[in-house]
Amino acid sequence: MSDVKVPETLDERLVQLRELEENARQMGGKDKIARRTAAGIMNARSRIDGLLDPGTFSENGLLGVSTVFDEDRERTPADGKVTGFGLVNDRMVGVVSNDFTVKGASSSTTNMKKIGHVKRTATDRGFPLIFLGESSGARMPDNMGSEGMGTMLGNDPHQYVRGRETPWVSAVLGQCFGSSAWYSCLADFTVMRKGAVLAVASPALASLAIGQKVEPENLGGWKLHSEETGLVDRVVDTDEEALAEIRKFLSYMPSHNGETPPVAEVPAGSDDAAANIPQIMPDSRKRGYDVRKIINCIVDQESFFEFKPRFGRTAVTGLARLDGGVVGVIANNPMAKAGALDVAGCEKVTRFLVMCDSFNIPIVMLVDTPGFVIGIEGEKKKAPGKIMNFMTALQMCTVPKLSVIMRKSYGQAYLNMGGGRNSDSVAVWPTAEVSFMDPQYATDVVTWGKGASDTEKQAIREDMERNSTYLGLAQIFAAQSVIAPQDTRKYLIEELKIQHLRRSGGISQHKLANWPTTF
Amino acid sequence: MTITNVTSEVIGSVWKVEMNVGDAVKAGDTIMILESMKMEIPVEAPVDGKLAEFMVQPEDSIDEDQVLCTIES
Repeated sequence: MSDVKVPETLDERLVQLRELEENARQMGGKDKIARRTAAGIMNARSRIDGLLDPGTFSENGLLGVSTVFDEDRERTPADGKVTGFGLVNDRMVGVVSNDFTVKGASSSTTNMKKIGHVKRTATDRGFPLIFLGESSGARMPDNMGSEGMGTMLGNDPHQYVRGRETPWVSAVLGQCFGSSAWYSCLADFTVMRKGAVLAVASPALASLAIGQKVEPENLGGWKLHSEETGLVDRVVDTDEEALAEIRKFLSYMPSHNGETPPVAEVPAGSDDAAANIPQIMPDSRKRGYDVRKIINCIVDQESFFEFKPRFGRTAVTGLARLDGGVVGVIANNPMAKAGALDVAGCEKVTRFLVMCDSFNIPIVMLVDTPGFVIGIEGEKKKAPGKIMNFMTALQMCTVPKLSVIMRKSYGQAYLNMGGGRNSDSVAVWPTAEVSFMDPQYATDVVTWGKGASDTEKQAIREDMERNSTYLGLAQIFAAQSVIAPQDTRKYLIEELKIQHLRRSGGISQHKLANWPTTF
Repeated sequence: MTITNVTSEVIGSVWKVEMNVGDAVKAGDTIMILESMKMEIPVEAPVDGKLAEFMVQPEDSIDEDQVLCTIES
C-alpha cells in the first residue's frame, strides 16, 4: 500500500498532485538524464516532444508506479513507460515511449496495463500506434516464479496480435529486448538508430547462456538488421532523425484501414523528369542501371520513401506519390544480381504487399528481371516457398495493381511481377522482352547433346529473341498498353484513375491483414 | 581535402576502366564497368572530385563492398 499521505482539503490535494506529477516527470533522476543528454541521446519525454506536434501530448498513467514491491513505488516514476496520445501533422496517434532510466523500462504490471490501454484505444478508435523502443525485457524479480508468470505475462491474449487495423511504427533507439524487440518486428515501419541493439535477449545474457563473448553489434546491430535480417526498414544516426522518419512515414498512411491514404499537393516540376528516362535506360540489354533513378523520374518529386534499401537489393520497395496520391512501388533493380529476385528480395516484396493491401495503397510494379536466382544457397533458404508466398500475396492483394514491363520479364518472375493477369493492367515499353528463359540459356537447353554448331546456335538464339519482343504481348492483349518510357508517369496517373476502387470508396478487402509480419 | 572510397555493390569482376588517375569526375559519372551475373554494372562517382587512386584493374575479381578507387575532393 502507498505510504503517501493524502491531505484533507482539495486545495492541498491539488498542490500535492502537482508535486507528484512534477516528480514523475523527472524520470530516473537528473543524473541519469544528464548522462544521456551529454551522450547525445534523447530521453523518453524529449522523444515524445520531438515526435508530436508541439503541446499536443495527452499523457495517461503519469502517476502509475510499480506496486509489486512496496519499495519500488518511490523509484518507478510512470513505471518506466510514458504513454498517451497526441498529434502528428494534425492527426491523432497513440505513443508508448520507453524510459530506460527507470528500471531499464522493464515490463511489469502497471506499465503493461498502460500499453494495453493505448493499444486498445488506437485500434478501436482508428489511429496509428508508435512505439519508441528502448527496454530491457520482463522486469525481474516481478515476473519470476510461477505466480509471477501467472500474474504478469500472458494475461493479455491480444498483446502481440497484429490485425493491421491501424498503422504501427517502431523506433529502435537503444537496447531493445523483450517487448521493444517484439513490437519492432510487428510494426509496419521500423527505424533504427546506429548504436542501438535489437535482439531476443541482451548480449550479457546471451554470453552467459552460450559461454562465449557476444558483441552487441553482432547480436543485433544496425548492419545485421538492415542488411541480413531485414527487420528494420531505415537506419539513422540520431534520435532526432528517427523521429523525423516516423513523421514522414505516417504522412503516407491513412489513420486506419477504413480510410484511404492522405493526398498531398503535387510539387511543381513533377512532370518534367519523366523525359529523362530514355537516357537512364541503357541501349544494351546487358547494361545495369539503378532503377531508383527511373522511379524518381516517374513519381512526384522528392516523394519516394524507400523501405529496406540495404536488404534484398534485387528488389526495390517504397512508398511514393503520383499526382498527390500514395502508391507502393515495387521494382527490380538490375544493379544487384542483374535484377534476378533472390530469397531476401521475395521476403521484402511480400511484406510490402501485405502492408499496401492492409492500408489501401495501390501497387505499381516496374519490371526488369531475368527471373529468380537459382542455386544451392537459395534452395537452403526455402526459395520455392518464398516465391510462392510472394505469388499468393500478389494474387490475394485487392488494391489496384499496375505493372509496367520496362525490359526483361522471364519465367515464373513474369507472373510474380504482375504478368499473366496477376495485375489489373499491364503496360509494356518497346524495350520489353518476355519469354520463359533468357534466349542465351534457352539456346543451350534446346541444343543440349545435339552437337549444334555455333552458327546453328546463333540462328536459334536470334529466332528466340525475335519472338520475345513487346509486340507479342501487345498482339495477344497480354499487355493492355504499349507506352513510351517518357509517358510512364502520365500513363500511371490515368490508369490509377481507371482502376480506382469506386465501389468501396478506395478501400481494399484486406485479405492479407492477418498475415505474419516477417517472412 | 576529403578522400571518398568508391565501393562495389556486387560480387563480380572488373570489365573495363573508363577513366584515369587525375581525371576530374562529377557525381554520377561512370568510372568503370564491372561484370556480375553476365550483366555490365556501371560504377558511378558518388561525389564530385578528382580520381586519386585505383585499387583494381580489368579482370580482377571483386567482392561486395570492396574499395575500387578513391576520389579526392
